[in-house]
Amino acid sequence: MKVAGRQAIYRYPLLTRASHWLWVLAFVVLIGSGLQIFNASPNLDASDKSDAARRVLAIGSPADGVGTTTLFGHTFVTTGWLGWTDDGMGEKSAHAFPAPIIIPGYQDLAAGRRWHLFFSWIAAICWLAWLISSAIKGNLREMVLRPSDVPKLWPMQAYYLKLRKQPPPHGIYNPLQKAAYTTVLFVLAPLVVLTGLALSPGIDAIANPLTVAFGGRQFARLWHFVGMGLLVGFFVIHTFQVATQGVVNQMRSMISGWYQPE
Amino acid sequence: MRRRLFLASAASALAGCGPIGSALNNNDSVRRILASAEGLNHFLIGTRGLAREYRDNDVDRHFRVNGFATPPDTRYTDLVARNFAPYRLIVEGAVERPQTFSLAQLQRMPQQTQITRHDCVEGWSAIGKWSGVPLGGLLDTVGLRNDARYVVFRCMDNDGSGNLYYESLDIHQARHPQALLALRLNDAPLDPDHGAPVRLRVPTQLGYKSAKWIGQIEVVGSFATIAGGHGGYWEDQGYEWYAGI
Repeated sequence: MKVAGRQAIYRYPLLTRASHWLWVLAFVVLIGSGLQIFNASPNLDASDKSDAARRVLAIGSPADGVGTTTLFGHTFVTTGWLGWTDDGMGEKSAHAFPAPIIIPGYQDLAAGRRWHLFFSWIAAICWLAWLISSAIKGNLREMVLRPSDVPKLWPMQAYYLKLRKQPPPHGIYNPLQKAAYTTVLFVLAPLVVLTGLALSPGIDAIANPLTVAFGGRQFARLWHFVGMGLLVGFFVIHTFQVATQGVVNQMRSMISGWYQPE
Repeated sequence: MRRRLFLASAASALAGCGPIGSALNNNDSVRRILASAEGLNHFLIGTRGLAREYRDNDVDRHFRVNGFATPPDTRYTDLVARNFAPYRLIVEGAVERPQTFSLAQLQRMPQQTQITRHDCVEGWSAIGKWSGVPLGGLLDTVGLRNDARYVVFRCMDNDGSGNLYYESLDIHQARHPQALLALRLNDAPLDPDHGAPVRLRVPTQLGYKSAKWIGQIEVVGSFATIAGGHGGYWEDQGYEWYAGI
């Protein structure tokens, strides 16, 4: 196939494209509903049971009209953004994350849990199906960071910072992309899936060692939140890069599969 | 320019989550589809295994009080004033020998003690030392009929609008070795705020299952005709009936 007179390559198979977009949907829903769930008890403790002495993050409202965020004991005033926020009912009140970014867009823990527990299945199945299929087909090999890629990481960064004219020689994905994909697929995704599993219905009773491995129930909640935050970080950088590095070509390739090399 | 466009579209996409989620959440079909995960989780995971048991020094001496206010009506305050002497736990429904139990009778039955973690659906956890009558033992005492499917717990507290709190377990969950009719918390008789004189303690399920201030236990074939028909006060508000931990 030719796009703009040049030879395009079929970069993404159907399963990759379908799971990518389904994952985007699940990711957005899981974050919104996860923040809804967080709002019901807006503390994260590095312990098994709730323990104020081991509190890492607390979002609260010490007085009407004031929102605060306390991280490792340091308190910041975050009125309007965190702690004292839009409640989705036309008022501001004591809610950790604001209603426009939680699902549903007002306080409803029961509904938030239902969204979260449904889409966690979608996200986990997508991740596993894509991982297994990519491992079998071999295209996973192109994405995994290898020891030989490590010396190329800085030259690639230097190229992005315009300190170097040419990127180091690489395959379909450059060494920084490989590092990002490897971290997401093999560190962050397993982290959120396993901590989510430890918090899932009925799992603690049949697999308590999983909860213990993350430091207990509240600690698993903390890791789950940290994993989410890092995935959001990847999502922001990834979306920014797609938006600034030939957005039409990038979007076309993830929709139709055809990518136009430069 | 591109960067600014990117930031603007990202911010508006972010702020759209809540309103779009709300609109979809009001759709009955969407809610039914979302709720299907509960059945799947119940089927796949179910009520297996045991809740972890802890040591004495893990216990929260001041166990958190949550949920409805301690019943304020005279029926309950009279019971407290008379140290629960007139209290009778009614056990009836699909049982061979319907009975009532005084607190003294319950205290004379074989007791079990467990130090377990209580996980609230809100997200917090606390550890308590609970003692009382194993629920399975009480069900053996009254004998279940063949049509028994669920054990319904009716409580003495209400939500302020007159809706009484209630909960239910299936027979398998009710016979779980750690399901307890607790009479004591942290080596003292339950106090009114923690559900005196009798509360349920089901450490393998979320806190709302562990109903406080129980007055009556009714064994039924179905809970469809009780209150909202979902098997519990919070279940009638949309929370899962299957609330395993």
